[in-house]
Amino acid sequence: MHIPDGILPAPIVLTGYAGTGLVTWYSLRRINRQENPQAGVPKASLLTAAFFVASWIHIPVPPTSVHLILNGLLGTLLGYFAFPAILIGLLFQAILFQHGGLSTLGVNALMMGLPAIAAHYIFQLRYRFKITQVNGLAILGFFSGAMGLGLAVLIFFSLLITNLPAGLDVRTEQAAITGLALAHLPVVILEGFFTALLVSFIYRVKPELLPQR
Amino acid sequence: MKKRLVVPLAAFAVLGSQIQAIAHGVKIEYQVQSAIEIQSAYDNGEPMQAAQVAVYSPDNPTEPWLTGQTDANGKFIFAPDPQIEGNWEVQVRQAGHGEIVAIPLSSDSESKLQASIVKGSTGYSAPQLILMGLMGIWGFVGTALFFAKGKS
Repeated sequence: MHIPDGILPAPIVLTGYAGTGLVTWYSLRRINRQENPQAGVPKASLLTAAFFVASWIHIPVPPTSVHLILNGLLGTLLGYFAFPAILIGLLFQAILFQHGGLSTLGVNALMMGLPAIAAHYIFQLRYRFKITQVNGLAILGFFSGAMGLGLAVLIFFSLLITNLPAGLDVRTEQAAITGLALAHLPVVILEGFFTALLVSFIYRVKPELLPQR
Repeated sequence: MKKRLVVPLAAFAVLGSQIQAIAHGVKIEYQVQSAIEIQSAYDNGEPMQAAQVAVYSPDNPTEPWLTGQTDANGKFIFAPDPQIEGNWEVQVRQAGHGEIVAIPLSSDSESKLQASIVKGSTGYSAPQLILMGLMGIWGFVGTALFFAKGKS
């Protein structure tokens, strides 16, 4: 679902970089305000590795094939660490495997990182609703994991559909983009389940690994 | 009354169609040209089937000189106008995935044509890619271990 180079016009690419700079700054500020900012680094680093590898895992959804993103999972488990983690993961995917692009790094980071932060806030609703049971946390984890990817797909869809270049058959391309967005639905549900499983496992084994208030 | 009319009408219809067929005579001419074959695939090796192709000639980079679709194997073949020299740009695109290749075309060199088309792939072999991936993962895990150690 990464947007490669040469697909989006220059103003959007530049806005993407500006936005990414701003959100990275804000995320780092939030991390720095934590009691021990370094404590989250090992977990963030391991999940960056998971994010980095996830794009290799292709799931055939006929007629196309889609890959895992795991941005909702990162947001759920990392909180504000998720944004720099996704940014670094995307950078390595772009320079090592030309997956995505260096010019669209900012746009891709916003597209996956902002929904990750949204997923974090969805999962933190557990404090507001005082959810302490494993089943309740798993359901919340499902929603945060699924919404993280779902929102990213929505941003991907609207970015592409509003920036179709001239010289293309607009209807064919719109149909192709819509098809690709719909093909992500099974992955949205899959990542939701995966997040729910992981959240309930961590809660049982080592609950302090879940992001605190 | 009706039967009497049928025979002449049928004869007229047959004759009429013959005359039409003669008037639509077909003449096919051919000439041998050099063509460019585009092979497009996603980075997992899957061909881009029925992807949209736009070919831009060097003298008009804003409006497509030719548009079309790739076939089931991700291939698209076109014959550029040999009179127009310079960089022919071919854009292949499907659902927000795509690539633009510039194909330098000059009247003297045929070999150049083939060299520059292989774009879009990283150029690394599968073992190299796996090794690079493992190094990347080790970098992240190493960072995690470093900070975990510092904590304790």
